[in-house]
Amino acid sequence: MDFSFSDEQTMLRDSVARYLEKNYDFDTRKALVASEAGWSADVWAQFAELGLLALPFSEEQGGLGGSIDDQVAFAQSFGRHLVVEPYVHAVILAGMALAEGREDEWVEKIAAGEAVAAFAYEEGNGTPSPAMIAMQSSASGDGHTLTGEKRLVVAGAQADILVVAARMGDGGPLALFAVEPGAAGLAAAPYTTIDGFAAANMRFDDVSAKLLIEDAGETLNRIIGHVIIVQSAQAVGAMEALVKISGEYAMTRKQFGQPIAGFQSIAHRLADMKIAYTRALATMLYTTALGNSGGLGARDIHVLKGQLGKTGREIGESAIQIHGGLGLTDELNVGHYHKRLLAYDAQFGDHGYHMRMLGKG
Amino acid sequence: MNVDFAPELEAFRAEVAEFFATAPTPAIREAGRKTTSVFAPFKECMEWHRMLYDRGWAAPHWPKEYGGTGWSVEQRFIFAEEYRKADLPPLLPQSLGMVGPLLIDLGTEEQKAKYLPPILNGEDFWAQGYSEPGSGSDLASLSCRADADGDDYIINGSKIWTTYAHHANRMFMLVRTSSEGKKQQGITFLLLDRMDYPGMEVRPIVGLDGFPEQCEVFFDNVRVPQSGRLGEENDGWSVAKHLLTHERGGANAASPTLMRYIERAREAASQTPSPFGGMMSDDPVFQRDIGELEADIASLGHFEKLAISGHEIARDPAFPSMNKTINSELIQRASVLMSQVSGVSGLARQLEALRVGSNVEPQGSEFDLIAMPLYLNSRATTIYAGSNEVQRDLIARGMAAGA
Repeated sequence: MDFSFSDEQTMLRDSVARYLEKNYDFDTRKALVASEAGWSADVWAQFAELGLLALPFSEEQGGLGGSIDDQVAFAQSFGRHLVVEPYVHAVILAGMALAEGREDEWVEKIAAGEAVAAFAYEEGNGTPSPAMIAMQSSASGDGHTLTGEKRLVVAGAQADILVVAARMGDGGPLALFAVEPGAAGLAAAPYTTIDGFAAANMRFDDVSAKLLIEDAGETLNRIIGHVIIVQSAQAVGAMEALVKISGEYAMTRKQFGQPIAGFQSIAHRLADMKIAYTRALATMLYTTALGNSGGLGARDIHVLKGQLGKTGREIGESAIQIHGGLGLTDELNVGHYHKRLLAYDAQFGDHGYHMRMLGKG
Repeated sequence: MNVDFAPELEAFRAEVAEFFATAPTPAIREAGRKTTSVFAPFKECMEWHRMLYDRGWAAPHWPKEYGGTGWSVEQRFIFAEEYRKADLPPLLPQSLGMVGPLLIDLGTEEQKAKYLPPILNGEDFWAQGYSEPGSGSDLASLSCRADADGDDYIINGSKIWTTYAHHANRMFMLVRTSSEGKKQQGITFLLLDRMDYPGMEVRPIVGLDGFPEQCEVFFDNVRVPQSGRLGEENDGWSVAKHLLTHERGGANAASPTLMRYIERAREAASQTPSPFGGMMSDDPVFQRDIGELEADIASLGHFEKLAISGHEIARDPAFPSMNKTINSELIQRASVLMSQVSGVSGLARQLEALRVGSNVEPQGSEFDLIAMPLYLNSRATTIYAGSNEVQRDLIARGMAAGA
C-alpha cells in the first residue's frame, strides 16, 4: 500500500497551491462571486496553462491521461481557497461524458480552456443515484427532444455545450445527450449557489438533443464516483482550513481574561474537529488509492461520501460555534467554508443516504 | 498511490485461513467466542500465543530482526481480518504491544536478550503498574515509592487497575524515586522479574461483568534489584510516555475486530423481529445507525492502514491520542449496538456459561451471551490508557502549539 503522491503529483499540487496562494485570496474570491461573470476567465486560462483542464482526458483525445490521484493531489487546494471556477462540473462531469461520447472536438476545446461545458443531472431530489433520473427523451424525426427540468446546473447559463442525463423514452435506460445552449425551448433561471458557484435551473421544452451515449448507467456511476472522490478531496481542504483557523482563533480570542482555547469545552471541541478532519483525510486518501488500483466498489463510495458529508458538517458547525458572533458574519471566511461543505453533503446523496445504504448490508 | 490486489495475496489469505481453521484447539476457539473485552480468557489465550509463536506469527508488528514477520501492510490486514473472521482470542497487549516494543526501542542489549524472547514465545506475561488509587488521569502525581538501598530498591505503596496482574509473572511499573522538582522529574521505570517478591500482594477486583480482570497490587518493603531499571533514575516519565505511544498507537489494527462486531450485530438483527414489522435488520433506523457506525469503523481502518504504511499522518504528535480516542469510542458504540440488538436476552447474568470449558449452555444465543458483558467491559476503553478527556486535552494542546 502506498498513499503518498509521486514527485510529479507533488509538483503539480505545489504549483496549484502557489498560484492560488498568490492570486486567490478570500477578498478576490468574494469579488468574483459578486461579478457578472461569476468566475474568472484569467484563473480559468491559468488552469489550462497548468494542464488541469486537460488532465482527465486520454492522450489520444488530446488530454494528459491523468489518473484520479493526479486530480486529488491539487483538489485540496481548491477546497482551501473555495475556488468558484466550475472545474469539477465542466471538466470532470461534462468533460468526461463528452469524452466517452467521442465528442473529440469539444474535448479538445475544453482541455484548451476554449469552451466550458455544463452537466445537467440534478432534478431536485439530491439524486443520490442515477436510477432516480426521471427526465425522458422523445424520438423526433432522426433525432431526440428533451422535456423537463434540471436543477443546480453549474455554469448552465454560461456553458458552450450542455450534457444532459435523461431516460431513452418512457422508463427506458439512462442516456446522455448533448444540447446546444441556444436551442429553442431551453430556458435558464440563473442564480448563485450558497457556496459561490454560478448555477441555473433549466427548463427544457421539446429541446432538440444529440444522443451521446445510449446506455449510460454504468458511465454515469463511474463518472459520479470519480467526481465524488475529487469533491471529497476539496471538502478535506475546506475542513483542514476550518480546523486551522479555529485553532488559531481560539488561541488569540480572550474571554474571562484568558484565551478561550484554555477552556476545556473549547479545547475538546477543537480536538474533535481535528479527529474528524484526520479521519476524513484518511478515508479520502484510501479511497483515492483504491480508485487508482481498480478496487473501488459502491460501498467504498458510500463510506467516503457518508463519512465526509457528516464530518464536514460537524467541523463547520463547530468552527462557527468557536468563532461566536463573528462566525455568523458573511465577512468572515468560516461561514463560507461551512456552506461549501453543506453543498458537498447535499449533492449526490447526503450522508444519511450513504449511511443507510451501507447499513442495508 | 496504490492498494495491492496481487494474486499472491489471495494465496497468503488462504494460508492464514487454513492455519486458523485447523490449528486452534476447541478450548482456544471457545475462548475466542467468549472474549468480552480487549483481554481474552488468559489460559487459552496464552496457549494460542505459543502456537502462533511456533508458526512465526506472534508479533507481526515487531521489527523482523526481533521476531516480527516482515509483512506488507496488505498482509498485516489480511492476517487481522482472517483472525477476526475465525473469532480467535486476540493476544494480550501488555507484553507484545507495550513493554516488548518499549524494550526494542529503549532497552539495553542485556535487557532485550533477557526479556524479549520469553515475551515473544509466550512464556512470560507482564502486568502494567501505572495507575494508583490517588493517581489516575494525573498519573505523574504517583506516590508508590522506591528507595535505593545498596544494589536494590525498596518499594512501598500500591498500584491499581493492573489488568491480569493475578495471571502475570512479571511487571513493569512506575515508582517515585524523588520528590524534588516537578512531579514528572522524580519518576523511575522498573522491570520486575517476579510477582511473588516477599511483601508483594495481588488482589483481583471483580468488574461489572462479574469477572476479575483488574487488580490491585500492594508493596510492603518489597526489595527488587536496581538492574531492573529501564532508563535513568528519575527519567522514568519519558520512558512511560514512550510506552504510551505504543499503548495508544495501535500497532495492531483494531478495525478488523470492530468490523467483526458489526457483522455479528447485523447477523443477530436479521434474526430479531422488529416491532415495526419484518426483522430488525430491515428497519430503516437500524440500517442508518449500523451504517453510520460501519462508515466510522471503515475510516478507522483507513487511518490504521495509512499509519502502518508509514504515511505522515502517523508522525503527527497527536496520532496516538487520536487513535486511542477513535478506537475506544468505536468499541463502545459497537457494544451499545450489540446490546440493543440483544435487548432483554442480554439481561441474564451468565457467569458459568461464560467460563471457558464450563460446558454450560447459554441462555439465548452465543451473541446474547457476550453482548452485555462486552458492553459493560467496554465502559473501560475511554478510561484506560489515559482517559479520553486527557487525550482530547493533549490533542488540543498540540493544536495550540501549531501541530
